[in-house]
Amino acid sequence: MERFSVIAELKTPIIFGGGYCTLDALLGSILFEDLKDVDAAHAAIPIKCSDGLFHASAAIIEPFDTQPVSFVANLRADHAIHPDLLLKNKQGLTHRRMGRTRRRDYGAVLNKYKSISTHDVTWFAEGDLEKTRELLEDISFIGKRRGSGFGEVKTWRFEPSSLDGLLDAFDAPVRPIPIDRIKGDESWLKLDTAWRPAYWHPENRAICYAPEPLA
Amino acid sequence: MNTYEFFNNGFGRFLAEQTNRPHKDAARALTRSHPIINKDGKPSTSRLTGWAIIRPNGSLAQANLLPPEIEADPRSRYEAFAAELNEWDGSPRMFLSFSKAPLPIANLFITADLRAVRICSPGEVETFNFTKEPEGQAGVAHRNVMRWRQKLVS
Repeated sequence: MERFSVIAELKTPIIFGGGYCTLDALLGSILFEDLKDVDAAHAAIPIKCSDGLFHASAAIIEPFDTQPVSFVANLRADHAIHPDLLLKNKQGLTHRRMGRTRRRDYGAVLNKYKSISTHDVTWFAEGDLEKTRELLEDISFIGKRRGSGFGEVKTWRFEPSSLDGLLDAFDAPVRPIPIDRIKGDESWLKLDTAWRPAYWHPENRAICYAPEPLA
Repeated sequence: MNTYEFFNNGFGRFLAEQTNRPHKDAARALTRSHPIINKDGKPSTSRLTGWAIIRPNGSLAQANLLPPEIEADPRSRYEAFAAELNEWDGSPRMFLSFSKAPLPIANLFITADLRAVRICSPGEVETFNFTKEPEGQAGVAHRNVMRWRQKLVS
């Protein structure tokens, strides 16, 4: 296990969609693409893990600009099978016909994000540097809306570091850490957020000491 | 304590049966109809309406819910939220604002720090800093809570 930093130099603005984007979350999602199993992917993350808490920081950025961006997703759902084949409700009817204009009827959906212009994204971690490098160096895009060109990575850099992926040089948290797992300081921000993967799962949320969330 | 355990401990367990899946229990409490005393003083059932504040040791709700552990409070939502934040004792709170649409469990959030306050509502959620005045792009909840704060202080 060694301490290192990972720096992604970016070609295009990036979208995170809030939260933290920790390095373990990024590595876990890459592993999941191959393994197709959530638990196996989390078990294979090459980062030091103390009782569920990965020693990997949240994404650290220094934005020089942020812009709101919106995308319209036009969903055009329709029944592909004959209504007679669908299960009927108590009134003997199938569910109502799908409309095409309103969101609740599978019409257009507006998704709003904030794009961040920054030269690079940095993470600090303690773990297996070589395995981390193998997983990341072929990744060309990170963040949300990658298919729309956001978050394109120019180069990945891996450097030795003295930080452990939990606290920074001033002993402030660089990732969400549950308040019962560390002796905190009153100046640290306390937030209700997910602290371990899967970060989307409700059971993994708790009151944590954490840095400012990403935009 | 997990977000949903906190919700159930102070509020949800009085409204829905509890299992070993706190987030599922919270979802049941938020989507079902519950016994209330209506405006005419008669027992009835209703979806959750108005607002609620969940404390570690109990809760307040605008709706006159039948479980006696949930105290009825007729104040307006932002008045109640501002007063609670103004007299905050440092222990966690959950601020719920109900409307026609059900409140998704993903929007539940424990406020444990005045610099990250969230009013949990069915639509877009807004987390704001109660120690700072609202600026240009501040949301509706932040502006209303701070307006009530000024009224309460003066």
